[in-house]
Amino acid sequence: MAEFSININGEKHNVNVDPSTPLLWVLRDHLKMVGTKYGCGIAQCGACTVHFNGTAVRSCQLPISAAIDNKITTIEGLSEHGDHPVQKAWLEHDVPQCGYCQAGQIMTASALLKQNPNPSDKDIDNAMSGNICRCGTYIRIKAAIKTASDSQL
Amino acid sequence: MRPFKYTGAQNKDQALQAFTATSHYLGGGTNLVDLMKEDVERPDQLIDINNLDYKKITSNDKGGLTLGAMLSNSETANHPEVRTNYPLLSMAMLSAATAQIRNMASNGGNLLQRTRCPYFFEVSMPCNKREPGSGCGALNGMNALHAIFGYSDSCIATNPSDMCVALAAIGATVEVQQTDGSSRMIVFTDLHRLPGDRPEKDTTLMQGELITAIHLPKPEFSDHYYYLKIRERSSYAFALVSVAAGLQVKSGVITKVGLAMGGVAHIPWKLTKAEGFLAGKKPTSENFKAAAALEMKDAKPFEANTYKVEMGKNAIVRALTQAYEREV
Amino acid sequence: MLERLPKHMKEKYKPISKIKIMTKTTNASGVGTAINRVEGHLKVMGKAKYASEFPVENKVYGQGINSTIAKGEIISIDTSKAEKLDGVLKIITYKNAEKLKDFDKEMTPIATDTIAPVLQSNKVHYYGEYVGLVVAETFEQAQYAASLVKFEYKKDPSAVIDFEKSKSKAYTPDNGTNYSRGNMEQGLSEADVVVEQTYNTPIEHHHPMELHAVIASWDNGKVTAYSSQQIVEDAKIAISSTFQIPKKDVRVISAFVGGGFGSKLNLDRHVIMGVMASKMVGRPVQVTVTRTQMFTNTNMRQQNEQKMRVGAKKDGTLTALSHETLSHTATNQEYQEPCGMVSKMLYKVPNNEVTYKLIPMNIQVPFAMRAPGEATGSFALESAMDEMAWKLKMDPLEFRIKNDTQTDLHENRPFSSRLLVECLRIGADKFGWKDRKSEPRTNKKGNWLIGYGVSAASRNSPYQKTYSKVILKLDEDKVFATIQMDATDIGTGSYTIIAQTASEYLKIPVEQVSVELGDSDFPITPGSGGSWGAASYCNGARAACENAIKTLKNNRNIKEEEDITVSELLKKNQLTKFEAEGMAEPSAEFEKYSVFSFGANFCEVWVDKDTGMYRIEKMVNVASAGKILNPKTAYGQIIGGLTMGVGMVMAEQTHVEPNFGNFITRSFADYHVPVNLDMANIDVIFLPEEDKVANKMGIKGIGELGITSVAASIANAIFNATGKRMRSLPITPEKLIVAGLEPGITA
Repeated sequence: MAEFSININGEKHNVNVDPSTPLLWVLRDHLKMVGTKYGCGIAQCGACTVHFNGTAVRSCQLPISAAIDNKITTIEGLSEHGDHPVQKAWLEHDVPQCGYCQAGQIMTASALLKQNPNPSDKDIDNAMSGNICRCGTYIRIKAAIKTASDSQL
Repeated sequence: MRPFKYTGAQNKDQALQAFTATSHYLGGGTNLVDLMKEDVERPDQLIDINNLDYKKITSNDKGGLTLGAMLSNSETANHPEVRTNYPLLSMAMLSAATAQIRNMASNGGNLLQRTRCPYFFEVSMPCNKREPGSGCGALNGMNALHAIFGYSDSCIATNPSDMCVALAAIGATVEVQQTDGSSRMIVFTDLHRLPGDRPEKDTTLMQGELITAIHLPKPEFSDHYYYLKIRERSSYAFALVSVAAGLQVKSGVITKVGLAMGGVAHIPWKLTKAEGFLAGKKPTSENFKAAAALEMKDAKPFEANTYKVEMGKNAIVRALTQAYEREV
Repeated sequence: MLERLPKHMKEKYKPISKIKIMTKTTNASGVGTAINRVEGHLKVMGKAKYASEFPVENKVYGQGINSTIAKGEIISIDTSKAEKLDGVLKIITYKNAEKLKDFDKEMTPIATDTIAPVLQSNKVHYYGEYVGLVVAETFEQAQYAASLVKFEYKKDPSAVIDFEKSKSKAYTPDNGTNYSRGNMEQGLSEADVVVEQTYNTPIEHHHPMELHAVIASWDNGKVTAYSSQQIVEDAKIAISSTFQIPKKDVRVISAFVGGGFGSKLNLDRHVIMGVMASKMVGRPVQVTVTRTQMFTNTNMRQQNEQKMRVGAKKDGTLTALSHETLSHTATNQEYQEPCGMVSKMLYKVPNNEVTYKLIPMNIQVPFAMRAPGEATGSFALESAMDEMAWKLKMDPLEFRIKNDTQTDLHENRPFSSRLLVECLRIGADKFGWKDRKSEPRTNKKGNWLIGYGVSAASRNSPYQKTYSKVILKLDEDKVFATIQMDATDIGTGSYTIIAQTASEYLKIPVEQVSVELGDSDFPITPGSGGSWGAASYCNGARAACENAIKTLKNNRNIKEEEDITVSELLKKNQLTKFEAEGMAEPSAEFEKYSVFSFGANFCEVWVDKDTGMYRIEKMVNVASAGKILNPKTAYGQIIGGLTMGVGMVMAEQTHVEPNFGNFITRSFADYHVPVNLDMANIDVIFLPEEDKVANKMGIKGIGELGITSVAASIANAIFNATGKRMRSLPITPEKLIVAGLEPGITA
């Protein structure tokens, strides 16, 4: 066990955990920030996606020891009231079904739009294909990203 | 996962000094951390090398580019100079894994990716690579995804990297730091090794050696290139078979050719025979077919992966054709 | 072509993608409107709470340990290393586990109220069976400790792990599902053309994105389980009967379920381990099933070998149809996927035979996965129908239409409504079926071979007894309603359609309705599964709302037909709060009909002539599924079924290792589910349909309909593209390479 100080959603958090602990467990079990989801634990599903200095990465793969001194944003920090353009587009297209993968989808989509405000279909497919949705919401995800990129909301 | 000691290295000397026989360097962690969670890799210490200053892309004295080992796969593949001058590399890298994984994965780490053989991943099964002497479960088990070239009775696994296939075709050189402080160069095709009777060793790196850079030769395939990856779903799957093809064509004749295959051997499989055959010939479909046949006739498939021979031939022809016909 | 559609329904059908997105519902009459799902904001903010996310104080973590042999006995267990680790509280194995009711009994057929013994003996029935549970302060500690517990086994070499080599062990299950009508052999002798082929489908796994999980608390003989379940009541019964405690002392909470697809219908054994562990350590215990354990411990779709024999006259009249399914079950439990069900009822065929055989194998028991029976059975039937059409030189669409029936010949009763022909016709029109080239390999573009395929879809629409409660509160002039039922929302939209139902029957805006689900303290429903959720839940909620209004009217002697707002009613009753319960169940009329949803799927597939890779360029899906409660949620269900169907065709397959008996496919890297890039260009059309026989609201099921027609439509399109008939799922590039992509037709 060791004391770590990490920056999540602009706030400092101190946690006392084993250095091997993946960021995902720190978020879910130690900080009770359960918006970031556990889907596989080995970086194969995308449910645990967070922003790491602005880029989309998988928190299950990131030992806490490697996360210090970096800026981490989770779904809880994406917007205070759920009104980030991606979240609004998600609601309008009724993207979520069971909802479990959607925090990860939204974090990947919002990182994509930050880098590339007007992504093509191909850009969207390439960025989003690492986030598995078993309910099969993919075609709505594409439509919602387009809506969000058009900033109609 | 097993507890380990974490050491953050700020420079290469700290990293090399901290190294012990049971240590691993931690780059992006996209392969290593997963394998630790599966209890396949069991290091006592992780030496974090993410702060090491190998994150640049620079010009080298061969007229090519040098890629820093700690640069992410995303930054590398999307770098304008890589896209323009080494589009084959960029294409192969972008076909791999997913955007999030590419954001984390380092170039050095990509070269050291371990096999996806399911027997390697399941600790209750025999695997000589994971546990030398335990046997090869795949040899008489499920081997539809396994090697058709260069395997041994000890191991029939394949190398999963897409980036490495392109680097083998392009003909790169890898620079490594040795523990004594000196550095050495390894011709790319000498980096990975065939399994023989020591399948636990994927590469010719020596204990503690640290990859610092990948040197690319002067660009030769920026006009005619293609990376073909055959897989079960359109993205985020390892290749059944892949082919990196680069051609240089002058006055209707092939003056230079770079060809390598993935998903068929323990190493990125350089298609030396096909390259030799095509050099100086016309880029015709007949020649492409003959080159593919020449290369694939030495394949030794198992019953379950016989398809890779036909698929491989078709893939070589298709990749060469796409490379040649690419609009310049 | 729309002859059977009632006159008022002959409005121009619209693809759902063209329906305007509604941003707000001001319409009090909620049912049928395309509102956004009511819990959507929670889901996009990461605030919907799934089972393992409830803030239970003092909780610890359990990690299951799995057997590493397929059959045999545990002969020793070494826990010494694990016990010494920091944080480890308890290691539970058969040696120290709580003895459960009937612990030594072999389990027989799966039933929802069955007990679920676990860690009760040293016997191992399959690779991956739970043999232990480590309880520790943190998840990481529990996982690491679990890896250090060493089991020594005595392997029994008689383990049955190879399906192909064990066919002689197959038996006919004693469950009355074998069936025949007419005389099959005579029907075949009357036929001018016969198709006799075998179709194979592999083991598939549900893999909902939310891992199965529970936080279980044992408190003086009372159990609270936050558990991801599709059917809360059954989970409660399973816990109470396994631990021999009264039902009233068990509470199961499943407020949000991160997908189920059948895998969460039953209570799985991690829940029993969690409750047991909580009893033993005196603290709440969270047990999360890992993704690898999702293969071995949370059910699966079984492997099926389906032999079809079809006979037809030259003019396309079917004379005979038989459907023989060979499959497998566990050695200690029986389950049989009803693949032949669809062959009994879909077409007008006088001579019909459906049989089943099962091989008892040392792998976990299979169970229902999305559209059990139809998803796999339709692949066989609708491929065989296509093969027959090809032999007859008939348009496969016309061939199906010719053999349509309005009577369910299996049950010998009419369908409550059946618009299959309309689905086929309308879909064909929208898809552009007339451009199909009947000769394979004649539609080409560059390296692509292009093919069109069609398949019919059908899925039983059961409807079950459902209770619910409505709580009305008057706040100034506004009435706020809360509906409570133990129903679950597994992503289907239950929260939303129940809210819309209350809005409809109470005549208040949907914004004034709140819905509380997934708590076993609420009125009992049949839960989510088998496409019965929407009809059961909404009719249940309707009954409560109707009862409330009726009672409020009766109390003040107001005539039933009088049009009065619920707010006026409460005022006249001088009430600010009022509660009513309601119950809905199938009518006597319902039993006289066969109630099914129908549909058709059309697809265009592009196959690479050299690599065997293919892509699905376009799909048009038409569904006639009764009253569409909300086009947005219904559309979600259809595209979800289609996506899972695409997975079934392109890649999904779990392999059993032939020497060890484990699933060699053990993660998402090996088990390929569809990703974003695999899906594009889908149009969904709902046919307006009101089926008042089905139930008072005219609702039929839609959650499973989508998947039932995908596999055959793609396989048929691949034949049309390449001339190669693919009879084994998944249809992978390697299989196409083996089939040979060179010119020529292999029918």
